[in-house]
Amino acid sequence: MNRTRLMIVVAVSVMGSAATRSQAQVRGTIFGPGARSYPVAVSPLKNLSGSTAARDVGTHFGEIVERDLTLSGYFKTLDHAAFIEKPEASGYTADSINFDNWSVIGALALVKGAYTTEGDNLTLEVRLFDVYQRRQLTGRRYHGSIAEVRRMAHKFADEILTQFTGERGPFDSRIAFVSTRDGRFKELYVMSLDEGDLQQVTKNQTINVSPAWMPDNRSLLYTSYKRRNPDLYLLDFMTGNETRLSQRTGLNLGGKPSPDGAKIAVTVEDNGNTDIVLLDRSGKVTRRITDSWAIDVSPTWSPDGRQIAFCSNRSGGPQIYVVGADGGEPQRVTFQGTYNTSPAWSPKGDRIAYVSRLDGGFNLFTVKPDGSEPRQLTQGAGNNEDPSWGPDGRYLVFSSSRGGHKKLFVTDATGSSQVQLTHGGGDDSSPAWSRWLE
Amino acid sequence: MRKRLCGVVVLGLLVAVVGVGCSAKKKGAEGAGAAGSGVGEEGLGGGGSLDKYQKGLAPGEEGPLKDVHFAFDSVELDEPARSTLRDNGNWLKDHSQAKVEVEGHCDERGTVEYNLALGAKRARAAKDYLVALGVPTERLTTISYGEELPLCHEHDESCWQKNRRVHFVVLSE
Repeated sequence: MNRTRLMIVVAVSVMGSAATRSQAQVRGTIFGPGARSYPVAVSPLKNLSGSTAARDVGTHFGEIVERDLTLSGYFKTLDHAAFIEKPEASGYTADSINFDNWSVIGALALVKGAYTTEGDNLTLEVRLFDVYQRRQLTGRRYHGSIAEVRRMAHKFADEILTQFTGERGPFDSRIAFVSTRDGRFKELYVMSLDEGDLQQVTKNQTINVSPAWMPDNRSLLYTSYKRRNPDLYLLDFMTGNETRLSQRTGLNLGGKPSPDGAKIAVTVEDNGNTDIVLLDRSGKVTRRITDSWAIDVSPTWSPDGRQIAFCSNRSGGPQIYVVGADGGEPQRVTFQGTYNTSPAWSPKGDRIAYVSRLDGGFNLFTVKPDGSEPRQLTQGAGNNEDPSWGPDGRYLVFSSSRGGHKKLFVTDATGSSQVQLTHGGGDDSSPAWSRWLE
Repeated sequence: MRKRLCGVVVLGLLVAVVGVGCSAKKKGAEGAGAAGSGVGEEGLGGGGSLDKYQKGLAPGEEGPLKDVHFAFDSVELDEPARSTLRDNGNWLKDHSQAKVEVEGHCDERGTVEYNLALGAKRARAAKDYLVALGVPTERLTTISYGEELPLCHEHDESCWQKNRRVHFVVLSE
């Protein structure tokens, strides 16, 4: 609830049309993710209130921005030990920064800013500079509670990606996932992209699977065995209000809302056979999408809501198919390998991610919706599964057992930058990446 | 450290399960008139795999009906599976009031949702075979647990083979 109160606010003193032109220049300079070539210095923010009560805020903000920039794969964040300018003893505007102090340590971009606190309220002003050109590229001022510093940082990281790549970053968003971190039960959790604001959203001490976000970013579809039969639930985890949407005997699995949120595609079982149907928001079946003797499972919508990709073993082993959301004959889109599952349609619409079994291991691939240009994203250590696209369609979150326990990782859509997102005990799996929070 | 702890817990549970088994048998022997009730408790073995999971017990293979096993990504009943099902069918004919839940399970490899669907198919395949042998369909319910409730936790074929199974839970006799 707090989150929705966060107001952002104005771009800080961007210098008119000249600044717009310079952004266009800068956007051309960065390489693809994975190169990690663009050195950026993120200075802790300057505390203007003089109060020591919230002195960690500026450091915390910087850490989250650095983490996001590392996750993006575009940037190399510079070691603070090398910083010459100390935040408390220097300015944070283009005319008060000594850019030589930053160019000499190899920074091409610089983040500086300041904040004030008053009680629980935080006002934070942050700017991005081009060190070589010695000028400000963008600036933002945020108002909110001190607890909202995370979101302010993620928003600014998204803005930095906008400046350097021409596309908004994916970080002002959340991830829902299944985890055994608090014991043997598979419960659902929600967190921000820095592993912060972790919220356990189910505590039913049973098996919960397949979380999916509704477009409102505050409710989740999931399947739970809490009443013994695997039923589909819709949970508003802000209020705790919950509806049981589908409760046929057998599986009611993997519900996914249409982009407008009006329809929900879900796998239902009829005496051992699974098919995909559409439900309305009250849980009533409005259309049957598949009708075959084979396994049909894991629907995912195209971003225009006109098609659904799913997994079926109608040709023998599991493969990915695409069918119209109004029905029609499914078209097979994967042809390599004998085990392709877990489709996830990119919000850009251009690719479908999936998992393929290859030489005994499981890895992430993407393919165009017409079946052309399959591309392998992960390889080697451990099993890499459960792909879910970020809101920008440039990044995916997935689960990997490469380090032993299953943990969540983020990769760009080429697979060239893969960074571990969750840490700690237990297995984390089935991540679902939300849309942008606003 | 974690593994060792798990071992201790499993050992403890084994002791608990054996203990329950013994007392059930004893009760059955003593209450000679109440035929079936002792066997019933023994057969229930603490309930289905989900009940055990919620109670902190490991899934088991015990019970009067034997598990049926499958190849990877397969719902096919091979000859050993059919032979086991015939034995199970005979038990069901001898216990004509027994109601049984047929649980479909998979090994950990592959996708959670696909494995849940595969487990449903496995349970259905076993049920259909029993029905073909003459067991009334209304005595058999099915449920899939996919890869969620493995019997064995090592990451190798000997373990996976045990986990790709249909397990039978006697609900009532």
